[in-house]
Amino acid sequence: MSQGAGTQDTDDSDPDEGDADYGNAILSGVEAHVVKREEYRCLDAEQVLERQREAVRGVTQVLQVTQDDATQLLRAFKWNVNRVNDEWFGDEEGIREKVGLESSSSAPDEASGMVDDGAEVTCSVCYDEFPASKHTHVGCGHNFCATCWSGYLENAVSDGPSVLDLRCPQEGCKRRVPEPMAKRYLKGESAERLDVFKWRSWVDDNPRVKWCTGAGCEVAVLCHGDRGEGPVDVHCGCGASFCWSCQEDAHRPVDCETVKKWLVKNSAESENMNWILANTKPCPACKRPIEKNLGCMHMVCSQCKFEFCWMCCGKWSEHGERTGGYYACNKYSQSREKEGASEEEKRRAAAKQSLERYTHYYERWAAHGASQTKAAKDLAEMREAKILRLGDLQNTPVSQLKFVLEAMEQIAECRRVLKWTYGYGYYWMEEDGLRKKFFEFIQGDAESTLELLTEAVEKDLEEFFTEEKSLADFADFRGRLTGLTTTVKKYFTTMVTELEEGLPGVGSEVVRAVSLEATPAAEEPPKLRRSARLA
Amino acid sequence: MDTNRLAKELREIQSDTKSGVTVEVLGDNLAHMQGTLKGPEESPYEGGKFYVDIQLTNSYPFEAPKMRFITKVWHPNVSSANGAICLDILKDQWSPALSIKTAMLSLQALLSTPEPNDPQDAVVARQYLDSYEEFVKHAKEWTAKYASENRKDEKEEKLKEMGFGEAAVRNALSRAAGDEQQALELLLTGL
Ligand SMILES: [Zn+2]
Ligand SMILES: [Zn+2]
Ligand SMILES: [Zn+2]
Ligand SMILES: [Zn+2]
Ligand SMILES: [Zn+2]
Ligand SMILES: [Zn+2]
Repeated sequence: MSQGAGTQDTDDSDPDEGDADYGNAILSGVEAHVVKREEYRCLDAEQVLERQREAVRGVTQVLQVTQDDATQLLRAFKWNVNRVNDEWFGDEEGIREKVGLESSSSAPDEASGMVDDGAEVTCSVCYDEFPASKHTHVGCGHNFCATCWSGYLENAVSDGPSVLDLRCPQEGCKRRVPEPMAKRYLKGESAERLDVFKWRSWVDDNPRVKWCTGAGCEVAVLCHGDRGEGPVDVHCGCGASFCWSCQEDAHRPVDCETVKKWLVKNSAESENMNWILANTKPCPACKRPIEKNLGCMHMVCSQCKFEFCWMCCGKWSEHGERTGGYYACNKYSQSREKEGASEEEKRRAAAKQSLERYTHYYERWAAHGASQTKAAKDLAEMREAKILRLGDLQNTPVSQLKFVLEAMEQIAECRRVLKWTYGYGYYWMEEDGLRKKFFEFIQGDAESTLELLTEAVEKDLEEFFTEEKSLADFADFRGRLTGLTTTVKKYFTTMVTELEEGLPGVGSEVVRAVSLEATPAAEEPPKLRRSARLA
Repeated sequence: MDTNRLAKELREIQSDTKSGVTVEVLGDNLAHMQGTLKGPEESPYEGGKFYVDIQLTNSYPFEAPKMRFITKVWHPNVSSANGAICLDILKDQWSPALSIKTAMLSLQALLSTPEPNDPQDAVVARQYLDSYEEFVKHAKEWTAKYASENRKDEKEEKLKEMGFGEAAVRNALSRAAGDEQQALELLLTGL
């Protein structure tokens, strides 16, 4: 049996350096599961090159072949060192032929028709005469003049990475053009492109590695986990988060299949949905258009000061803990079933209801997506410029302001998760039962928990830029924000795990109590009572 | 483009009268040529003269010439709708050591020995495999209808009598795949 593609390296047990603690569940029992999923490693260009060299060195030594041949063999077997060895020792000649290497038994007599001693021959590309040499053929005796070799190679480089597999120009000849030969006839930029193709091939042809999907990012992600076991979210240093399996933006707790379905559905429905994407809404009180520019759902009309929720346009005071309840706006209530309606009316009502149901989830998915984008932008601005000013104002070295960046990273991550809980809800919460109620409870609780952190950053932190504050105030703020960040992180990590496991808690006594709408503040399930009230 | 080599190629083709293959440059642009080939003997294409459109990119001979039958052909590897050809040496198996002439000869050989398992035209390929006799009948009909030299000459004469130049008439007729009415329209619109 051939080796699986994930076994040749020596560092399979390496945890990822930067993200080792991301996603560590706080619930016992799920920890191992989560850690296993997080086994990946971000490699920069230098590290990619180093790993490539290491693999090539190994094959060169064991098989006694040139570095170029070793590279080619590794490419042919997807950079799996064990497979190269197995295949080679199984059928060396067959492999040589397949990969286009010189036959090991190629004795000089095989070259009976071979001319490379300076004799004049005709180039079968340009039909001109030229003196043959050992540099005008690749070991097969098919001679081409230097001009034609250059033209052939330049053209192949412009075709892309397939130049790495380029064969002799003679029709039907399978001999590969080795790298030293290619380098002899390629100049400047083309020679550099060849190097880039070779370097990139360690990722391009390697099923264990993928390029980060971040724009302009050249980080390669090496995955150690068991692939195909659900989504593995990769968080790259460039700020991009993507799913290792499907390369869409990170989407835990939703599985790849559902994400695909959801995205297809969105593009199909997008015409109906255009109005939803509009970024303004009339103020529910004075009807002036209000633009949502903060990530937070808590809106204050600039004209009449009416405070309302962006989602449901309801009064803000009816949201959150003041009413003793959780966020009412995440609840989708099905239209009351009409009694005595005609079949036609029922059908129309059903269609309308299905669109309304989708709209409910889509609108919230898109709103959180927009907030996620905004959060990422804010984070970038803070990291690049604002943090320096904050350091000046508070007389604090920037190195001690990491807690601000961490809080903002957490907000972006939470927006992403919240966004996907709506995709999750649309597909997995069909029935109007206990699970759905519990789900909406968690979701609402998560939203209110996050609002606390968002407000702390968007409102409280801003005050340190605009108002005179004491050092003690800032120390106070630091403590509060750090605590909030930790709380929110734990909360969301647990939520993601629970959703991925299909809400195992549902059915317990406590949950039932919540779902039956006993006083929620007193009856929250202990597992989920993650001190949203800390602050 | 290597015009030196092209000139040599064209000279060589012109001096060879036995192969049944001709190639000529259209206008003064070396990148656009038109070739003809004789239908191979003992094939349903026997007696036909088939026009082939040949376009070269700047990278010729390092890139394959783009070839397409202008004359309608009933053949598993040629699109009955647009003349597109499925032949490996015109794609990934092209080698700069091949030439326009060798490519034309390969097309001729393809007419003799179709590859129904790698079809360009699925309908024709199906017929070739399922009811070979019908296929032969159909291919012969098309050869007589679209590739017959005599028919072509007749049409040429008619159009020339209307006052169009010989080269223009031939060009229009081949672009119209032998359809007299369409050729006339091409000539009248000056396209
Ligand atoms: Zn040459
Ligand atoms: Zn060769
Ligand atoms: Zn990245
Ligand atoms: Zn995925
Ligand atoms: Zn207002
Ligand atoms: Zn609301």
